[in-house]
Amino acid sequence: MGAASGHLLAGALPVMSVAQEAEHEVAWESLFAPDIGLAIWTLLTFLTLLFILGRFAWKPLLGALDAREKGIQDNIDEARNQREEAEKLLARHREQLAEGRRQAQAVVAETRAAAETLRKELEARAREETQAMLANARREIERERKAAVEAVRTEAVDVALAIASRLLGERLDADRDRQLVASYIDDLTESEGALA
Amino acid sequence: MTNAYQEHGAAQEAHAGEFDLGEMLGHHILNSTEYELPFIGPVHLPHWPELAVGGLTIDVSPTKHVILLLLGALITAAFSILAGQRVARAAAGRAPSGLANAIEAVVVYFRDDLCKGYIGHGYQRFVPLVLTLFFFILTMNLLGLVPWGGSATGNIVVTGTLALVTFVVVEVSGFLSLGFRGYLRTIFFVPPGVTGAMKYVVLAVMTPVEFMGKFLKPFALAIRLFANMTAGHVLIFSVLGFIFLFGNYAYIRWLIAAGSYGLVSAILLLEVLIAFIQAYVFAMLTAAFIGLIRHPH
Repeated sequence: MGAASGHLLAGALPVMSVAQEAEHEVAWESLFAPDIGLAIWTLLTFLTLLFILGRFAWKPLLGALDAREKGIQDNIDEARNQREEAEKLLARHREQLAEGRRQAQAVVAETRAAAETLRKELEARAREETQAMLANARREIERERKAAVEAVRTEAVDVALAIASRLLGERLDADRDRQLVASYIDDLTESEGALA
Repeated sequence: MTNAYQEHGAAQEAHAGEFDLGEMLGHHILNSTEYELPFIGPVHLPHWPELAVGGLTIDVSPTKHVILLLLGALITAAFSILAGQRVARAAAGRAPSGLANAIEAVVVYFRDDLCKGYIGHGYQRFVPLVLTLFFFILTMNLLGLVPWGGSATGNIVVTGTLALVTFVVVEVSGFLSLGFRGYLRTIFFVPPGVTGAMKYVVLAVMTPVEFMGKFLKPFALAIRLFANMTAGHVLIFSVLGFIFLFGNYAYIRWLIAAGSYGLVSAILLLEVLIAFIQAYVFAMLTAAFIGLIRHPH
């Protein structure tokens, strides 16, 4: 049958008629020959190849791929962990910063309050001192004025007595006259109030 | 079993000047006891004494497809091991290079989207198998597009043996993860809700279907890869053959040659795509079958 198909192919074309007469025939039946020897060769070759490649090609290759994939995964995991860690740190730093700022503000406020208190205290003390000094001065002035008035009054009595004795031509008894004049002046003072 | 493969070299010499398209196709597609090397010509492969195993005599002499099989394995091993070392080095801090990146991208896709996606829990054990299937089949497919090359995957015995590996892995992993009773349920299955006499009807109908399905899946796997590779090569060499078929016609032969050249270039690009797709489909379906039996219904 195989040989016939070969001739069929040849017969389809006119030039082939010459070749058809050739003695030799193509062994087409060997196309489907159950060649056990070749099967054994194939099996042995394939199994050997499978063993050798499995050991020297696929094992290192797949191992390297696995290792690289694992490495990449590890890197990703590590990066994620580090980012989380960094975020945590950042949050803590922010918190600490805010805390510090709050504390600083508290310190400033406290200081300001203390300064204010101090200022008020000093002011009050200063005012008190001023008041005291003023009061002192006033008292001094009053005292001086009173002394002055007394002096003027004494001098006035003497002057008045002198004038009066000269006018009356007689010497008045010193003490009695003095009292008289003083009372006179007192009356005068009460009625006029100018020298009071 | 004695080797019935023809030897084309001698035949070609004897019929120089004449062109036989069928012979050319057979020469490029069928297995052979000789391998044609560039500049040297056909090299006879050694014939080893046949092995007698319990009534069977097995010829394990190297053939063209055995050479291509081994060459494919060597290239796959060289590239994969190199890429494995480079990726391992890249993971250790060195900048990865082009080859390592390309194979790494494929490996990651197969691991995550196919194995993890289809097989689920415990998928790690199956990743090397799926990867080896893909790169080995891909290399053998691509070897068929190289001058003086050929596709071992264009041989049904090679694809059938690879499918057998898939079949064994699928059934054994199913048995191991489901246990004896669970595994039996992948053959004798009654959908929940079916009771009474219907149960036996369903069993009678479904058991042969389920049982055949176990073998049909890898069978389809083997046929699909073999047929795709063989069809691609038949197409390429047929279109190339037009050049020689019309070689005796004046003028028109130049037109035919130019047309064939353009068409074959386009088909070759398509074949590169198919080489990738078929290798991917084989590996993907292997992962899917493993996933299916471990998570039944």
